[in-house]
Amino acid sequence: MKKIIVLITTLLIVTPLAMLLYKSQVLNLSLLPQMVDDVWNFHLTARPKGDHTSFSFPIPKPGPGIKISDERIRSKNFEVFIDSNSDSALATWSSKEPIKQRVTYSARIDLKPLLYKNIPKDYTETYPKGLNRYLKMPILLPEDVAAINHLEKAILEGNEDKTSVVRKIYYYVEEEIQRNTSIKTIHETLNTGKGSPLIKAKLFNIMARRQKVPSRVVVMVRMPDLKSSAQAKLRFTFANEVFLNNKWIPIDTNRGYFGERPDNFMVIHRNYEEVEKIISKKRVSYAIQAERARINRFNKTEFKKEVIKSDSIFSRLSLYRLPLPLQTMFTTIMLIPIGTLVLSIARNLIGIPTFGIFTPILLTLFFKETSFGFGFLFFSIVVLIGIGERYVLDKFYLLAVPRLSIILTMVIMLMIGYSLFSTDIAFISQKHLAFFPIVIVTTNIERLSIMLTEEGLVNTLKTLFGTLVIAILGYLLYSIHALEMFMFTNPELLFTIIGLLILIGKYKGYRLSEFLRFRDLVRQKKKKSEIISNDIP
Amino acid sequence: MIFRELKELGILGINNRVGRYILRHNKRSNYPLVDNKVLTAQRAEAWGIAMPENYMIVENYGSLKNLHLKIQDYDSFVIKPANGSQGNGIIVIKEIIKEEKNGVTRVLCRRSNDKLMEIEEVKHHISGILSGLYSLAGQSDTAIIQAKIDKHPIFDNYSYGGIPDIRVIVFEGYPVMSMVRLPTKSSDGRANLHQGAIGAGINLSDGCTNNAVIKNQVVEFHPDTGHKLVGLQLPFWRESLELAAQCYDMVELGYLGVDIVLTPDKGPILLELNARPGLGIQIANLAGLVPRLEKIRPQASKNLLARERVDFSMENF
Repeated sequence: MKKIIVLITTLLIVTPLAMLLYKSQVLNLSLLPQMVDDVWNFHLTARPKGDHTSFSFPIPKPGPGIKISDERIRSKNFEVFIDSNSDSALATWSSKEPIKQRVTYSARIDLKPLLYKNIPKDYTETYPKGLNRYLKMPILLPEDVAAINHLEKAILEGNEDKTSVVRKIYYYVEEEIQRNTSIKTIHETLNTGKGSPLIKAKLFNIMARRQKVPSRVVVMVRMPDLKSSAQAKLRFTFANEVFLNNKWIPIDTNRGYFGERPDNFMVIHRNYEEVEKIISKKRVSYAIQAERARINRFNKTEFKKEVIKSDSIFSRLSLYRLPLPLQTMFTTIMLIPIGTLVLSIARNLIGIPTFGIFTPILLTLFFKETSFGFGFLFFSIVVLIGIGERYVLDKFYLLAVPRLSIILTMVIMLMIGYSLFSTDIAFISQKHLAFFPIVIVTTNIERLSIMLTEEGLVNTLKTLFGTLVIAILGYLLYSIHALEMFMFTNPELLFTIIGLLILIGKYKGYRLSEFLRFRDLVRQKKKKSEIISNDIP
Repeated sequence: MIFRELKELGILGINNRVGRYILRHNKRSNYPLVDNKVLTAQRAEAWGIAMPENYMIVENYGSLKNLHLKIQDYDSFVIKPANGSQGNGIIVIKEIIKEEKNGVTRVLCRRSNDKLMEIEEVKHHISGILSGLYSLAGQSDTAIIQAKIDKHPIFDNYSYGGIPDIRVIVFEGYPVMSMVRLPTKSSDGRANLHQGAIGAGINLSDGCTNNAVIKNQVVEFHPDTGHKLVGLQLPFWRESLELAAQCYDMVELGYLGVDIVLTPDKGPILLELNARPGLGIQIANLAGLVPRLEKIRPQASKNLLARERVDFSMENF
């Protein structure tokens, strides 16, 4: 290789890497935006029953394990007042006339699991005044008090610290009280050993407070799992929190969590006693929905601030300065050069045959924009159309360009058909670019049927298979989200890719496929030279 | 390295062929001379190199209209795309049949594989050529209707259907390797190695076949005729090599594939040229191209005549 090429290639490859080093070491920029967890789009609608000019409803409040952003409350025709002075937030809507409309609240909510391991022993005797309401005893029937007394004697020893006491009460309520949604009073529960989730939480609450541990029943919403539909209405459920070592510790006797709350539970109010009447079905009808928002897995907004703050040349050249839709487009586009790298390796170093030069990359983009299964199916149909068309239209003696145009039109019809009969409409409207790659691929499809007649089934299948293998390889690479973000964050790496492509372009050695192609030559040659050497003596 | 044996045998790989030989020795501006068979024919005529006679060049759809009137004067002909490759798009018509029915003349063409074609089908095929179905890059093309060549009797026992051709790789004007491609039943009578034709390597020194392969596998006998493939002595060998060497002077491409056919009457004539000749010839000869090409390199600057270059090649390979 000429020295100048070596020099250019080295510069192309090394400079961007040096820039990465400079960015991370000197400017202290991170090379990737921070990951953010999946967030929830939370949506609540409520309407009071009866004629009320004002009504309240609990709304989520930031706290341990819960972050809230983009809060929106519809306030047309209403006055809205949010009381968030206590540990929970309560929104109050009021109007001059009785409220007949639904009111809405929506927010983006980020939930994190809570976990308190090894809770230390707690010997606290006195609590601040503010906690007194969490120690207040509800009025109970005398026989219920007696029953609880009896229970306490059985499970507690009398000289333990509060953490151990709470743990014992937890074990009792969690294990000994069976879940039964039809049993709704403490009295019945004490008699039958069964209770609804709310009653189990209430019983735990009473028993903790009797041991002078501040305790409360929290109102929670269980977020839908992946399988349930986004439209599913969510219901309230209940758990507890106890105050140990100056911290509110989550406890759930219904699902068996001690000092732990998984991130699929969102607390909407931290003191059931305050909202018991407000959320009663007799007074209000409400619907709660939540769906996962997976769009922003990397916190681009924060990173943009970081980049601009660094005030270096990179802050001016950063793609993060682009408007958001362009950013989304470029995250995908930045992957194309990586695809070309895969393609060059596959074709020039390995020797995999493909249809057209860039067909595999277009296919990869199509797979990425739709999904692999759908993309593969759609591509297979396009291939079948391409082959079928030739057999049918051959009889008409059509010229090639109109004929290709017919295939293209048929593919468009296929897309329309799919959109009309698929329930998955969002998929098309969101990704308006998704189908363009396949449209371009279509123009290559007729070559396939020509190849089929001229080079036979085996060669055609080999080429088809090669195309798919490269497309799938690219797809696997493209599905590494961090790679996408890394290229988007550090576009100078494109120079490195050019450098690597020059290296591949200068490669004059054998392709892997040639090892197979000339295998027989090598074998025959050896055989011949053996015969000759055997003949000599 | 798994490539060690290939390297020892001096096998030329695709990357090496492109990077070290084609890109460096073939001027891009001269490619049309070999890619476009119409241009090749014009050039060959000026240089006095014999090629099959072109009856007709079809450049637009309009001239297809009266095709049947024009072709019925010939006994046979071949249709090929001017910019085709690997024999794609070529149809050989060996007989033209005229039928009179109720005062209407119907023209039918019998292909070399005995299939009958309506004149409409022939026109359709030509319009496919014109729209670029078979051309190298898919751009619109010209169709050539040319004289059908007869098989030289030496190949009677070695060919099934079509006409065998001789491929010579010429480097800087020196023939370096050669093979004869013999059509088989499975290649549908075509001299195309990809489709299963036999490739038989030829000693440049004496014009004798030295080995034969079908699709990279060594074979000893012709699968259709059963004749032994090694040891066939080709006639007009020196003339063939000189023809090949002259082609270098004609198109000035350093790395060139020359396809020659032997006619019963005129001896070797040029069929077509190729600026990107395939590598299968090495398997047919059980020999690598690299050592031969490198042996030519110091010779290249000597400016010898085609005749003298052939002397060198026959002595050395």
